[in-house]
Amino acid sequence: MSVTYIDAIREAQEDLLREDDRVFLYGQDIASFGGAFKATKGLAEAYPNRVFDSPISEDAMIGLAVGAAIEGMRPIIEMQFADFSSIAFNQIVNQAATHYYRTGMPIPITVRLPSGGTPGSGPFHSQSMEGLYAQYPGLVVVTPATVSDAYHMLIDAVKMDDPVIYCEHKFLYRWLKAKSIKGEHLPIGQARIARPGKHATVVTYSAMVHEAVRAADRLQQDGWEIEVVDLRSVKPLDIDTVLASVARTGRLLAVGEAFPWGGVTAEVVSRVTEEGFHLLDAPPQRLNSRDTPVPYHPKLWAAHRPTPESISEALRKLLSF
Amino acid sequence: MPIVPILMPQLGESIAEATVIRLDIKVGDEVKTDQEIIEVETNKATMGITTLCNGVVSEIRAVEGVSYSVGSLLGLLEVTEEEIARTGVDTLETLEAKNHSQPQETKSGEENLHFALDGDSYEEDPSIVPTVKGLPVPTGVMGAHYISPRMRARMNDMGLREADISAIAGTGAGGRVTVEDLERFLDYLESWPSAPASPMRLAVADAMRRSWTRPLATVGLPVLLDRLLQHRREQVKKPGLTLYLLRAFAIALKEQPMTAGYLIGEKVVHPRSFDIGVAVQVEDGVVVPAMRKVDQKTLSELVAEYDDLVDRARRRRLTEADSRGGIATVTNFGTFGLTTGTPIPLPNETLILGIGAGRKKPVWSEQVEAFLPATEAELLLTFDHRVVDGGGAGMLLNRVAVLLQQPENL
Repeated sequence: MSVTYIDAIREAQEDLLREDDRVFLYGQDIASFGGAFKATKGLAEAYPNRVFDSPISEDAMIGLAVGAAIEGMRPIIEMQFADFSSIAFNQIVNQAATHYYRTGMPIPITVRLPSGGTPGSGPFHSQSMEGLYAQYPGLVVVTPATVSDAYHMLIDAVKMDDPVIYCEHKFLYRWLKAKSIKGEHLPIGQARIARPGKHATVVTYSAMVHEAVRAADRLQQDGWEIEVVDLRSVKPLDIDTVLASVARTGRLLAVGEAFPWGGVTAEVVSRVTEEGFHLLDAPPQRLNSRDTPVPYHPKLWAAHRPTPESISEALRKLLSF
Repeated sequence: MPIVPILMPQLGESIAEATVIRLDIKVGDEVKTDQEIIEVETNKATMGITTLCNGVVSEIRAVEGVSYSVGSLLGLLEVTEEEIARTGVDTLETLEAKNHSQPQETKSGEENLHFALDGDSYEEDPSIVPTVKGLPVPTGVMGAHYISPRMRARMNDMGLREADISAIAGTGAGGRVTVEDLERFLDYLESWPSAPASPMRLAVADAMRRSWTRPLATVGLPVLLDRLLQHRREQVKKPGLTLYLLRAFAIALKEQPMTAGYLIGEKVVHPRSFDIGVAVQVEDGVVVPAMRKVDQKTLSELVAEYDDLVDRARRRRLTEADSRGGIATVTNFGTFGLTTGTPIPLPNETLILGIGAGRKKPVWSEQVEAFLPATEAELLLTFDHRVVDGGGAGMLLNRVAVLLQQPENL
């Protein structure tokens, strides 16, 4: 019996609803329909009056959540797609993110963003927004890559007093399976060595962790040992674990599925260059998706995002420097 | 004839299923590409399912009023081989081969098939060739000329300079030395006998290394020493051979001060005072105290000062002022019995004048029309070729040689 990444998200929400009266779920079609991806399936029936359908207004959804949080609740908001959260951008970055700083009152909301690309999802249903939200002080941005992290990080996100942007990867929903939901439990803000190695470090997060591990497996056949660091949360960014890895390997490749301009990979390279310049034996490298909207056609999409093949290629170039 | 399935298509993002509301076809109907054949309704909109190619309806499985999940089989078309080839659509056979691990009919409309990727079925498309930009590969950097930040840090840890690692053949891009190359080299050296270098040795090494960053060239000519040695024998306080050289050099430089210029950026800095250094061999190194304003004092006036300076240098009793640099150096490596060499000026000097050991040679005399024995030595001048050229250096050296033939004027 195996459980999937989306099972973990559903189970975390169920456990939160059961254990904490302050928790409620709010989002489009999440009640009787169970959500676009069935992440809240059956929860409305099990917890009546605590799982609500929202109007099709992301702005109103976050506005309601901020108000509820002020009144002492711990809402979990499901955005149908991460891409649509741009409509709630003002509420998230101007209201939720700044509230504690302005008033001393925390806003413990959790915003679930179904993120990242899947074949044929096109420009409006594939985007990765973590870099955008991580730019703003006052927000915590998490990007679970494993079934266990999907569960534990959602629990931790809701328990946290800060507003948390929880970026769940749609590609992992049903593809990623584990023997059990609960596993290794690291706190938010701590990165994980997904695969140890000594010749180069790949720093990545979310679905790209799996692509990086596949690339590392390929390079192992040629005798290269690649260390893969799963950031887990992109903000706070666990730069210590990253620097420790670069100290072991001397070579850095930051991989992200988001667009290449700025963002998490740029931050990783910038921080390592700033704090660990003396550790680098080769120019630090980045691999992101292309600087175009996400294409619809599956083949174009496969060429747009980093893949095990392109990560291997980037690593070979880095290793031959 | 190949059979092409009519499938419930993906009708929009987050649409898992759709209800068939009207069938516009019956078995035996001939259909054309893109013809609307089944009308379906989702929770968002009503739309038509179209055919992917020309064909004949051979079977209908969909029932009006029933919901089917995305990917469900709604009917079958008989299609000619030519049409398959033209459109490239999947037949029932090719589709089954592709989806061997995924059942077509899934349980009701519960799962969102759009994202139902099976663990085993995730394969990369081999037709996608990755294009990954390369690194800025350093070119023409064989050896230790490109130093990465990590290499630099490791070298600083170890007190290593570029010259120390020039023995390493690099395995990195453009033959650069990587940290791994360096570590291998250090491991290799572990097995060799070694001892710490003295501060004197390190000081000389540092000065020579810094000096060697410049394009240095050496010119030379033989000079007869007989008159000089004769003059020396006649003196009460005998000046050292090096002092003659020092004095002649200072006079020549004063006449041609440009040659002792020092290049800084786009400027040549000229000597302000004709202070000339003397290379003195001491234990495990060389020191170069300078004599001040050599152009303004005569040879006999300089003897005491010179002897004192050399004596204190040998006893390592030089003051800070003694060691402050001059504009050029004189070295007499002839004292080691050497006849020729390529002296290296200090990093803050442009010139160094050297002299080898004197040797008895037959020299043709026009006066007596015979070979006469004479003492000859090589006079050598090394210069920074950025500042001085062979011609300028030659003029200076010739002038020194002429002055040495008139020791009484020094």
